[in-house]
Amino acid sequence: MGFVQDVLTSFVAIIPVTLAQSLILAFVVLGIMIPFRMLNFPDLTSEGAFPLGGCVCGVLLAAGASPLVAIMVAFAVGFAAGCCTAFIHLRFRIHTLLAGILMMTMLYSINLRIMGKSNLSVFGSPAVFDWVPFTRPGFPASKIAVAGLLALVVFLALYMFFRTEKGTAVRAVGANPDMAEAQGINVWAATIGGVGLASAFSASSGALMVQSQGFADVNMGLGILINGLAALMIGEAVVGKQTVWRQLLAPFAGAIIYYQLVSFCLAAGMPPPDLKLATGLFVLAMLALPSLKRSRGSAPAREAIRE
Amino acid sequence: MLEIRSARKVFYKGQADEKVALDGLSLSLATGEFGIVIGSNGAGKSSMLNAISGALVLDSGKILINGADVTAMPVHKRATRLARVFQDPMRGTAASMTVAENMLLADLRSQKRTLRQGLNATRLASYRERLSILGLGLENRLDTRVHLLSGGQRQSLSLIMAVGGSPDLLLLDEHTAALDPRTAEIVMQATVRAVNALKLTTLMVTHNMQHAVDYGSRVIMLDAGRVLLEITGEEKARVTVLDLIGHFSVKTDRMLLAS
Repeated sequence: MGFVQDVLTSFVAIIPVTLAQSLILAFVVLGIMIPFRMLNFPDLTSEGAFPLGGCVCGVLLAAGASPLVAIMVAFAVGFAAGCCTAFIHLRFRIHTLLAGILMMTMLYSINLRIMGKSNLSVFGSPAVFDWVPFTRPGFPASKIAVAGLLALVVFLALYMFFRTEKGTAVRAVGANPDMAEAQGINVWAATIGGVGLASAFSASSGALMVQSQGFADVNMGLGILINGLAALMIGEAVVGKQTVWRQLLAPFAGAIIYYQLVSFCLAAGMPPPDLKLATGLFVLAMLALPSLKRSRGSAPAREAIRE
Repeated sequence: MLEIRSARKVFYKGQADEKVALDGLSLSLATGEFGIVIGSNGAGKSSMLNAISGALVLDSGKILINGADVTAMPVHKRATRLARVFQDPMRGTAASMTVAENMLLADLRSQKRTLRQGLNATRLASYRERLSILGLGLENRLDTRVHLLSGGQRQSLSLIMAVGGSPDLLLLDEHTAALDPRTAEIVMQATVRAVNALKLTTLMVTHNMQHAVDYGSRVIMLDAGRVLLEITGEEKARVTVLDLIGHFSVKTDRMLLAS
């Protein structure tokens, strides 16, 4: 009993810290979900856009810029990175995944160039979290308030957008690009804009993370994609994805649940190096589940395999 | 009005398997005219339709819709003037979206899409009314996702989507070929009703000679990327299925001689 109690005590103690972290990282999950589910454009750019946002924010903070300006610039730079990925795919007909890999590889060098070194401490620089009243700076409550408020605003804004005439058109591009084009929708504009927006969210998440942890690192994006995917899978399993409301809620719910699960595993004594293997196996299981349900054991027919 | 002026398109140019898809094809269809396009496989029917819709870029020649040159316009820009129903029911609708959302997309085909709410009460009521014409019960399934509909229902939906907003030109690409005979008849009847009621300028590709005899004001037979034969007026009224099939065999004989 002593072990269980210890695990629970240490888990409960870090719930607020984990919640703050997960709300910040929920924007990466959102940045993975939008291209993947709304545009049918599996995208890996977020692995590069997240540290890109972090590096840009770090450099700006070090130069004395306002933390809000730093986030807005990170958002814009992330948007540009996403637009590049979409353009590479559309113009040269390169597979979306390969376009994303190319972009995130190139972004690594760009991130290093931006910072000039592999990590940068911005500890003591002002952060948006300092502006929350009635909380002590540096404590999770202020981070939860800021990230939670941002998440709420972004969620509602996206929900409203996808119900508008323009938003419906963007979803049509993901559902059936040929049909969308035949209905007068500019597929290029919708894809570039949508993937750009997704990367902008990933980059903003990186910027928030830098302000939260007090340093920027070019390697901060390592494995963020698979974590985000795992969070998305959990979110979709819990809240579903049948409607726009549920599909948009899934990244946020998923991020919150996933990071609590991770922190529980760590509290229970799982060695941190094993975490990636566990996450990978989990994502694999979630992706494989539909196919296992359909055909008991045997691999699906070749035609059924989707890109 | 549709006008095609000596359209030419060559696939795999300069290679061993070079294929002339459109060989100086010229065609004109007056406003309100219902043209039926027939021809054997590889005659250039699909290439012609793709060239009109913009999916295929011509090597040379011009395409005019209502007098406006659309030759250089991308697909999504031409969509404001023309609507198309594909042979494959899956291609004309967005499967993961609801019936109402699909109707909305078609509704906005020739308009500027705004940031106002898409589906409102007025629109839903009008969609319900338009779908009820089919008599398939689709008007009660506005919130159903389209992938749950049968092929015939999807194709009927595609048709209602295409004729809504009275396009300057309606392209029907063997739109009943993938359906069972009864459903094909329902879709065909709905097509004829809509075309007559809205006086749409229509171009329908078909392999069904009975349809070619029964409907339309003009039969256009394509062969090797050009118009081989046009039957209009009195002659169209008198033409029989056997006559049409006869024209196919003439070509087959010539093909035999040539080979």
